[in-house]
Amino acid sequence: MRNRNATAYRFLTPYLLIFAIFWVWPIISSFMISFQATRTVPWRFAPSFNWGRLIGDPAFFNALKNTLLILVIQVPVMISLALVMAVLLNSPLLKARGLYRFAFFAPVVVGEVAYSAVFRLMFNLDFGIINKLLNSVGLPKIDWFSNVTPAMALIMIAVTWRWAGYNAIILLAGMQSIPEDVYEAATLDRVSKLKQFFYITLPLLKPVIVFCLVLSIIGTMQLFTEPFLITERGGPGGGTETLGLLLYRQGFRSLNFGYASAVAYTMAGLAIAITLAQLWLTREPK
Amino acid sequence: MATVTLTNVVKRFGVFEVVHGASMDIKDGEFVVFVGPSGCGKSTLLRMIAGLEDISGGEIAIGGKVVNDVEAADRGIAMVFQSYALYPHMSVEQNLSFGLRMTGNPKADTERRVKRAAEILRISELMDRRPKKLSGGQRQRVAIGRAIVREPQVFLFDEPLSNLDAELRVQMRVEISRLHKELGTTMIYVTHDQTEAMTLADRIVVMRAGHIEQIGQPLDLYDNPDNQFVAGFVGSPKMNFIKGRVVGHDAPGVVVELAGQEKTRITQPLTGTAPEIGSPKIGSKVIVGVRPEHFGNAGEGDADLVVAIDVIEHLGGTSFLYARTANGDDVVIQRDAAKVPDTSEITVSIRKSYLFDEKGLRLR
Repeated sequence: MRNRNATAYRFLTPYLLIFAIFWVWPIISSFMISFQATRTVPWRFAPSFNWGRLIGDPAFFNALKNTLLILVIQVPVMISLALVMAVLLNSPLLKARGLYRFAFFAPVVVGEVAYSAVFRLMFNLDFGIINKLLNSVGLPKIDWFSNVTPAMALIMIAVTWRWAGYNAIILLAGMQSIPEDVYEAATLDRVSKLKQFFYITLPLLKPVIVFCLVLSIIGTMQLFTEPFLITERGGPGGGTETLGLLLYRQGFRSLNFGYASAVAYTMAGLAIAITLAQLWLTREPK
Repeated sequence: MATVTLTNVVKRFGVFEVVHGASMDIKDGEFVVFVGPSGCGKSTLLRMIAGLEDISGGEIAIGGKVVNDVEAADRGIAMVFQSYALYPHMSVEQNLSFGLRMTGNPKADTERRVKRAAEILRISELMDRRPKKLSGGQRQRVAIGRAIVREPQVFLFDEPLSNLDAELRVQMRVEISRLHKELGTTMIYVTHDQTEAMTLADRIVVMRAGHIEQIGQPLDLYDNPDNQFVAGFVGSPKMNFIKGRVVGHDAPGVVVELAGQEKTRITQPLTGTAPEIGSPKIGSKVIVGVRPEHFGNAGEGDADLVVAIDVIEHLGGTSFLYARTANGDDVVIQRDAAKVPDTSEITVSIRKSYLFDEKGLRLR
């Protein structure tokens, strides 16, 4: 048995080496770097240099506020929308279901840069289709890129567009795993379709909804592409700067690796804390 | 309680017709079992009565009222599903009361009905448990309880015992029988197990390939089957079928010679054969049906038959001899355990037999 294990580990060695060098070591290394002052040469151990700065840094709190704002508004809206889409996709009345499934999933496979460019064009002040549509129904044009609130809304719209379909497909899979005869039993119990949704579908879908929420929370905590590409590096004036963007700015533009590492660990810690709170709140009663 | 009347009920899935004009009258308080092999349309027929499947043609009436266009919820029926279909996230108590709570039934009445159902099914001590914490038999009881609290006019059971082990199945069969006596409600029960059908039913509806083959009381079907399918389906082990040929007329019957056994001739009285079938001509091929218990010792019955024994199954008081006739027809012979022969070839006599024409229709 020991021989067999040794053989297995020999086969695994190339992967484990790569995993250790490019995965485990950076995690450990960045943790250690977060305790070092990296603006000096040579780097020196100074725990309060980065962590102390974090506590009082307005840029960090601005990024944290923006990230949490997106989390609190966009994630529930997106999951609700995904739920509605999943219900529609699950309807026996729907024709060409496969086509819709593909259409809803397509945004995930579209290149981030391409879709960001399209969003920038669509929301352009002068010739974007969104402002043209607003104008056509008598509403004033919105300068999506120069004002904080519209810019934030734009980020939320873009993220929702990109990920709602993905979540809808996961929720659809969950819905399809609920046995049909449970609904038939409820129908014979004279329970209306609406009540069946709230009292049967939603409770039985809870583990899948929680899974989608956890994925979305982790994704939002790392949000980078949209504020970087659509609102041009968290603009206007840092109004859409997220923690991911702050990390990038500190680490790769200011080359302040220590502070970037501290931000990275804060992001991970927050994601874990929020996810655990989420799991605790939605736990099954014993 | 209510009567259920089916008049020429048809079900089509696209171009495929799966139930071809089923008609029957189910009396108030009767226990009727639909039985037949998989795919014969028995569950589809039940689901049409429940309102879970649309009716492609014909008419279904419950309590004298045509319900073709009445929603399943408003038909006054309750159904027990094969998979139990319990709400997995609810306790037993919530499972039982869910329908009543959702439809705004008064709380006191809901509690009374749930308590009564729990007492009838002896599940009062399980009320706080969730379905996953229950055994198969307990889940089945809860599923039946959920039907009882609705106080329906008609109970529908869709193969409710097929997920249970053999011992539990026997136990639950007795419980369902007891329940029918206690409630006195009309019950329609679907199964592919003829033993369940025979033990539970007031009347059995035997189905095959979307057609009703015969409707009758269990022993009527056993003693007086209309065709070879019913004769073979009802009874365990099934009826033996031996090929034969009409070699003469002996008013009011025919003389049949068994294939491969020129000396074995059976005189079969024919008094009630339907006119459209008529009396078989000399030389026409027929099938002789003999139940395993209708084989006797040589010389005891109408005709003797030599068979070669393959296997003997000892079941205690009774044994079954699996044998072959000279013509190669397989036969099962029932014997008292004490009278099992120790030779590989024996002569048995046919004490009682049934005659079927080539199409499988009964000649009588």
